[in-house]
Amino acid sequence: MATPLKRVRGLGAAHHGTETFWRQRLTAVANVPLVIFLIWFVVRNAGASYNDVKACLASPVVAVLMLALIWSGAIHMRIGLREIIEDYLHNKLCKTASLMLATFFAALVGIASTLAIVKISFGG
Amino acid sequence: MVQFTLPKNSKITKGKEWNPPAVDAEPGRWREYRVYRYDPETADNPRVDTYWVDMNDCGPMVLDALLWIKNKIDPTLTFRRSCREGVCGSCSMNIDGTNTLACTMHAEEAKGAAIAIYPLPHMPVVKDLVPDMTRFYAQHREIEPWLKTDSPTPQKEWRQSHDDREKLDGLYECILCACCSTACPSYWWNGDRYLGPAILLQANRWVEDSRDERTGERLDDLEDPFRLYRCHTILNCTKACPKGLNPAASIASLKRKMVERS
Repeated sequence: MATPLKRVRGLGAAHHGTETFWRQRLTAVANVPLVIFLIWFVVRNAGASYNDVKACLASPVVAVLMLALIWSGAIHMRIGLREIIEDYLHNKLCKTASLMLATFFAALVGIASTLAIVKISFGG
Repeated sequence: MVQFTLPKNSKITKGKEWNPPAVDAEPGRWREYRVYRYDPETADNPRVDTYWVDMNDCGPMVLDALLWIKNKIDPTLTFRRSCREGVCGSCSMNIDGTNTLACTMHAEEAKGAAIAIYPLPHMPVVKDLVPDMTRFYAQHREIEPWLKTDSPTPQKEWRQSHDDREKLDGLYECILCACCSTACPSYWWNGDRYLGPAILLQANRWVEDSRDERTGERLDDLEDPFRLYRCHTILNCTKACPKGLNPAASIASLKRKMVERS
């Protein structure tokens, strides 16, 4: 029985979203050179031995760029997954559970990859 | 809500073929129209009826053909129309796979031999080609599309420079036909919370207006992950607009302003 205007207004404007929008654009811009760097790294080390790749990854410049890529990518992925879930999943329980899993997944990827890079950098 | 299949009562069935031309009819004289039909007063599912329009007896626009069908073949065919020159936005519908105005679309522009006509996508259907625009109009009302000021009202008029007036070009021409909003997948899936390109273009029209004194308040009311940021820059809106406007640019302008003030 609610009027159309009542339905359209719903719970009102959330007054946020700009920060996420800006973060998404920022990480997108950062990802361009970082992914090019990753491709270069993979091509350069194609066929190289395990120890050579490890040594290359341990160099400070490569390690820093790899960490930047991992975090920029993980943040971008978290935002993207959230957008997709909100677009397509409308069942409240399913949506909330998926949003939590997406956050955990992005955090896990970020933390595990960081640990790997740090370990290699410190000669692990 | 995402729907990959139509609900049972919306599945389209084959309809009636009304006036097939004679076998020895002059080639090219009769144009085939396949028109979506739905009558809520019956329990029947929607169907697609086939009509043949005599192009020697009918005007060149798709709306002319619909009127010809209504006047000469089937008076029960229901659609909205008014100005027949692209300024009222009443006859917006999906023609030959694109949302557009029946009055400004030339029948010869249609790619297929048969011209398919459906109501605007993903809207509840009132009857045949008439969609229910209630929510769309409520969304327009929600952005408060009128001049809002706090300064004392001037004796004569609110003044505006030529340059500021020019900023409204490409915005004020919107006729609210909803071709853009109903071409937008984000609006299909989240139309209950996302305002859609037409309404955001209208919102931008008031944000851009140099005379309006509530710009910040307007932006506050738009700043929302759904109301504004559900736009994923798909650009169907700009492609669909029969007036050649660019709702996507308006949405980008709103987002830029949000970042600017954050």
